[in-house]
Amino acid sequence: MRPVLSYVAAALPVDIALEEQFTTKAQQRHAAKFGMWCWLITELLLFGGLLLVATVLRVLHPASVSAAATHLKFWIGASNTVVLICSSLTMSGAINASRLGLQTLMVRCMLATGGLGSVFLLLKAYEYYRDYQEHMVPFLDWRPYALPHDHASRLFINDYFAATGLHGVHLITGIAILLVLTRQASRAGYLSLHQNRIEIFGLYWHFIDLVWIIVFPTLYLVNRG
Amino acid sequence: MSLSESLLHRDPAPGRGTIGRPPDYLHDEHTLRSWFFSIDHKRIGILYLLSITFFFVLGSIAAGLIRLSLVVPNGAIFSNDTYNKLFTIHGVVMVWFFLIPSIPTTFGNFLLPIMIGARDVAFPRLNRLSWYIFVCGALFTLFTIVVGGVDTGWTFYAPFSTTFSNTWVIPALLGVIVVGFSSILTGLNFVVTLHTMRAPGMTWFRLPIFCWTMYATSLIFLLATPVITIALLLLVLERAFGIGIFDPALGGDPVLFEHLFWFYSHPAVYIMVLPGMGVISEIVPAFAQKKLFGYRFVAYASLGLASLTFFVWGHHMFVNGQSEVASLSFSLLSFAVAVPSAVKVYNWTATIYKGSIKLDTPMLYAMGYIGLFVLGGLTGLFLATLAIDEHVHDTYFVVAHFHYIMVGGTALAFLGGLHYWWPKFTGRMYPEGWGRVSAFFIFIGFNTTFFPQFLLGYLGMPRRYHTYPPEFQLLNILSSAGSLILALGYIFPMIYLVWSLRYGKRAPANPWHARGLEWMTTSPPPKHNFETPPTVDFEPYDYRDRESRV
Amino acid sequence: MTPDFVRSMRVPVLVCAALLGLLGGNLLLGQFAFPGAGYFEAALSGVMVLLLLFFSMELIREPPVIRFFGVAGFLWVAIMFVMTLTDYLTR
Repeated sequence: MRPVLSYVAAALPVDIALEEQFTTKAQQRHAAKFGMWCWLITELLLFGGLLLVATVLRVLHPASVSAAATHLKFWIGASNTVVLICSSLTMSGAINASRLGLQTLMVRCMLATGGLGSVFLLLKAYEYYRDYQEHMVPFLDWRPYALPHDHASRLFINDYFAATGLHGVHLITGIAILLVLTRQASRAGYLSLHQNRIEIFGLYWHFIDLVWIIVFPTLYLVNRG
Repeated sequence: MSLSESLLHRDPAPGRGTIGRPPDYLHDEHTLRSWFFSIDHKRIGILYLLSITFFFVLGSIAAGLIRLSLVVPNGAIFSNDTYNKLFTIHGVVMVWFFLIPSIPTTFGNFLLPIMIGARDVAFPRLNRLSWYIFVCGALFTLFTIVVGGVDTGWTFYAPFSTTFSNTWVIPALLGVIVVGFSSILTGLNFVVTLHTMRAPGMTWFRLPIFCWTMYATSLIFLLATPVITIALLLLVLERAFGIGIFDPALGGDPVLFEHLFWFYSHPAVYIMVLPGMGVISEIVPAFAQKKLFGYRFVAYASLGLASLTFFVWGHHMFVNGQSEVASLSFSLLSFAVAVPSAVKVYNWTATIYKGSIKLDTPMLYAMGYIGLFVLGGLTGLFLATLAIDEHVHDTYFVVAHFHYIMVGGTALAFLGGLHYWWPKFTGRMYPEGWGRVSAFFIFIGFNTTFFPQFLLGYLGMPRRYHTYPPEFQLLNILSSAGSLILALGYIFPMIYLVWSLRYGKRAPANPWHARGLEWMTTSPPPKHNFETPPTVDFEPYDYRDRESRV
Repeated sequence: MTPDFVRSMRVPVLVCAALLGLLGGNLLLGQFAFPGAGYFEAALSGVMVLLLLFFSMELIREPPVIRFFGVAGFLWVAIMFVMTLTDYLTR
């Protein structure tokens, strides 16, 4: 996708258009950011439920959980953490560029962010494929399970699929929104009308990173010992 | 002359059609499109009002059939399976499609922006989206009912819901999951609106208590709803893939589902109760013409309830295999909830004391509410006590307790608020005589229906059973007869309120001589709520000059 | 890339480097699974979360009310964990 840029746009001030229900632009910016933070709280509690399940399973069946956790692809998970941390950096780049009215740079940063997100998904897909190959998909009836006598280990692996799957859904949603937003944001004059949307989306993206930073140690790391 | 003084002299309002007055929100546009695609918070509130009324009727029909079945002890009227499906539909529909959305999505949507002097909520499009999500969840639930129903009870306890039930569990779960997102969006909108959209001069402590309770409710929407989303999602996965997390056969723990379920569903009780408290806090000062006693205490009690409620969910699980330490701590914390609840009741009572009381319909509902809430609340203390709960757990005592809170509390507050703000919503007065008669019917009918259930429960009749020993028949017949009276009390308003839309007296801007910004605009309000954006220079419930005149 | 932009990226780059460093620490701990390693791993992850919250998501620049909301979610997850584990750890 080639960004369509106009040099006139750079001359327009970086700003937002006031919506009918607000009185001032500062109020509108504040409300939009506030709204996203509220949404992120709900997302955190959503993932919190799955992490609680993992913790309770560890309390109830420590040996089985450890046995199951060593079957997770530790280094793929670690590489994916690196990928997401880098994508947070490029997202910060997009936000800072948008504040300075550097539209071309911003669009490039957003595309880089989307690219890194896609790398994460590809690695994740490969990880799932390896899990399938190694018979670590206990929720599939037709596929024999690698640890047939350790029932409790199934529960942990299934929770792993639920948590990483839910995270994956969030990432796919994030990339989809990012692509649409990039397309819109590459139009002339966008930054003088909707600059704050980049920041709002950025919060969501950083949050996807944040969730992974909690999910990775909870599932892959602390259960190895 | 300050704004508040000038507004005192404004009622009765000039009639409609005054030259230069913008059309009100009802007459601004007339097409169906202008309703279904509206982003006006008032129109969205009306859409919600129609939707939840539909579900209230549906849930009530199920309740009526349950009471019909229990007239005879041998369960001859319906089969066991049908009976199980009836009480499940009653529970699911009433909890998620009536009680939880009831006051926030209707009165909240309509009044909150007006009460704080805003033109709309912070995110009007999100508000419209929340209604569409509600409808989407409603379709799942209707689908479930049409194709054959579900028999798990509204609590969906594992492992029955995951392993044993042969009914339409997954569509029912999806309906509840989807409607949860509509709650989340409403809560998000209200929190941001209250933080960012207040008119100049509208400080936090000038907010009507209704706004405080909406704020507390919205926080619960945000903090609790996602947890039930994930809990029910795990049930869906359990049913579809057998993931085993709640399956004891594989080492999973069904009690874990109960923890996740009640982490939401106990706070959900306060999603249902707090808005009702808000409505009562508006009605009581208006009909006692007296300042609300202890405003700050009532405001803080709302926030106190909203936070305490997250620490007590285990009292639903005293006999379910939870550890004794956990049961003891949950029991102790549950008692603490009585404090802010009692603060509210005392403050309402103190407001009424020496007021110039007018017993119009909304006030009748409010008085009924206070009495029934006290009874429901005190029996809650019985249930928070470990030893007594062992005896009455899962009996009709529990059923009666929570119906005193949910029906005696929320439903009465809802009806009271509906009458109180009906002139504001529609621009018409309801017929006062009929209003009082139906309030009376509801109070009598409610108590006849549910008081016998306390006795039945204490005598040992378990809930959710289709048959019972013949010696319980008299009390059961009494309860069923009460539900007929209660039904009449519900049917009357549905008729006369619709009648009033065409034939009711035209309402002035402030028919109750009440305070608050919603009474300072026309009935019904113009599209943007106020002709000129208001500035607030008065305290809430400022009924002083009224008192001196009386 | 303007000088303004380069200056604005100082904090994000530092945060990114810190996050990668902390992750490295965690991966190292993961190799020597000694008893109690989990606590160190949890602590390092906690620092990572705080860095993201306060610097990447710029909570440090927000008014107190948003900061409060940003932290409240974690507080409520903690309530859920503590109250549930009260049951599981005392059975």
